[in-house]
Amino acid sequence: MGIISDSRSYLAEAWQAWNRFWFTPTDPTTLCFIRVLAGAMLFYTHLVWSLDLQAFVGPDGWLPVDFIRDLQGHQWSVWSVFFWIQEPWQLWCVHIFAVLVFFCLMLGLFSRTTSILGFLLAVSYAHRVSPGAFFGLDKINCMFALYLMLGPCGARYSLDRIRRLRRGNNSPVVPSVSANLAIRLIQLHLCIIYLFSGLAKMGGENWLAGTAVWWAVANPEYQSIDMTWIAGWPVLVALATHLTVFWELFYCCLIWNRFFRSIMLWIAVAIHLGIAMFMGMITFGLAMLFANISFLEPATIRRWVDPIAGRIAAKLAGSQ
Amino acid sequence: MAKKRPDNPEQAGPKPAQPKRPAQRVASGTPWHPFWRWLVSLLLVLHLTAVFVAPWDLSTDPALPPGYVAPGGSQQLPPRDSAVWQQPVVPRKLHRFFNYYLNLAYLNHGYQFFAPDPAGSNLIRYQVWDSGGAEIATGEFPNLDQQWPRLFYHRHMMLAAQTGDMGERSGRLYAKHLIRLHGGQTARLEWVLHKLLSPKQVLDETPMGAESTFVVLAEIRETADAAFNSNSEELPVAIPGAGQ
Repeated sequence: MGIISDSRSYLAEAWQAWNRFWFTPTDPTTLCFIRVLAGAMLFYTHLVWSLDLQAFVGPDGWLPVDFIRDLQGHQWSVWSVFFWIQEPWQLWCVHIFAVLVFFCLMLGLFSRTTSILGFLLAVSYAHRVSPGAFFGLDKINCMFALYLMLGPCGARYSLDRIRRLRRGNNSPVVPSVSANLAIRLIQLHLCIIYLFSGLAKMGGENWLAGTAVWWAVANPEYQSIDMTWIAGWPVLVALATHLTVFWELFYCCLIWNRFFRSIMLWIAVAIHLGIAMFMGMITFGLAMLFANISFLEPATIRRWVDPIAGRIAAKLAGSQ
Repeated sequence: MAKKRPDNPEQAGPKPAQPKRPAQRVASGTPWHPFWRWLVSLLLVLHLTAVFVAPWDLSTDPALPPGYVAPGGSQQLPPRDSAVWQQPVVPRKLHRFFNYYLNLAYLNHGYQFFAPDPAGSNLIRYQVWDSGGAEIATGEFPNLDQQWPRLFYHRHMMLAAQTGDMGERSGRLYAKHLIRLHGGQTARLEWVLHKLLSPKQVLDETPMGAESTFVVLAEIRETADAAFNSNSEELPVAIPGAGQ
């Protein structure tokens, strides 16, 4: 009897905790701020395709669509609008539309519609260049696009909000369950990414031996700032390598603890800024940092962003 | 029988119909009806399982039984389709179950950033000749001098790096593209590995770009009118993002 009642009360408490975790209405500030940053990254990423659109995304180019479809096993679920486009003018029409969609998403104009279109377009580009020219940035971009669709990502820091203010709608932004769902999904997805990235490194002799960071920074094709001076500092290389592995492995546990959260986030800043500055992957490093912002409290973001956003809103809408 | 817990709205006994539903929602801190919470919870569990399963499956390999000795004491591993290999059954089956969903949402990834170990970079060097045999183009990619901004350079770096996963045919396609681009007749490509220097070599002042650090892994010659039979070779079937 004791076991049954204990189990029942445990399950009830677990269900309550589950509800609190997923279904507590949350200020959408964090999600909206991520929309601005991820929208900018999506916009920039796709704008860069314009430099050689036909070669990377067109039906022929470096890797023709037929070849990519062969590699992908002709699976119907691997889809892209670019698999059906034949003419250059069609390609450019879709591309200009996509860039506009990402621009609007960044600014928060017609956010609900552009977030859905943004996801469809981001996946279309990613499938067209996978395999071939894709890398981690495309995975993180598509992750953002997926979860931005779920919540009110245009509730703050957006032209949608300014349009509402201009129409005289001064009602405050209300906490939202769907904002919480979107943020929780970004958080958990990020935990899974770090966990498997850490586990994969456990299979690498150099990561275990503490030398991998050297081989990463000594790669001339990646290098954007020469860090080879650390050749004379093997202990520093070893510490950076071990820290990276342990941080990735334990991120999924320690990030939820309020005492460790700041430490984990500061290490994230150090590692991803390091990747951005020293290894030339500015976009990927920043995208990972944007994902880490999901662990910041809305109040923290409002403290930083509201003064700037308020000034812009006052200029555009005549009031805050 | 377990006691009712009146303080727990999820287990609360019969109450007057009017206040019951609002009380349930307010006590749990959410305005959502329990039906929607159950439904969304189910979808969340399925989604997160799918997100977890993709890298889990891609990080697992078949294993030989402990102490396996090949027939005749040979050091050779058995073929990949041999029944001796033990397959990781659970991640494989789960991955197969979620495969369509993972593909549709571009979630089918391994997230193996710089793993298992950082390696050297790949480059592609090329020369293109016209029908008279005169060289009309030469170069390499990735190339920081020609590809800017950095993301554009990185896309070219990925083209060179992923050639190894895509097989020889991708190199031939690059050659075809370069022939078309420059209006040539023949192209020659070298797929090159740029080896990394050890700390000792750097301290000994070996230049990063020393000729000895470049190793040609493959060479491809292609002509504009060469027939391209898509079924001429067995192609690897890759799930986008697998193992990357």
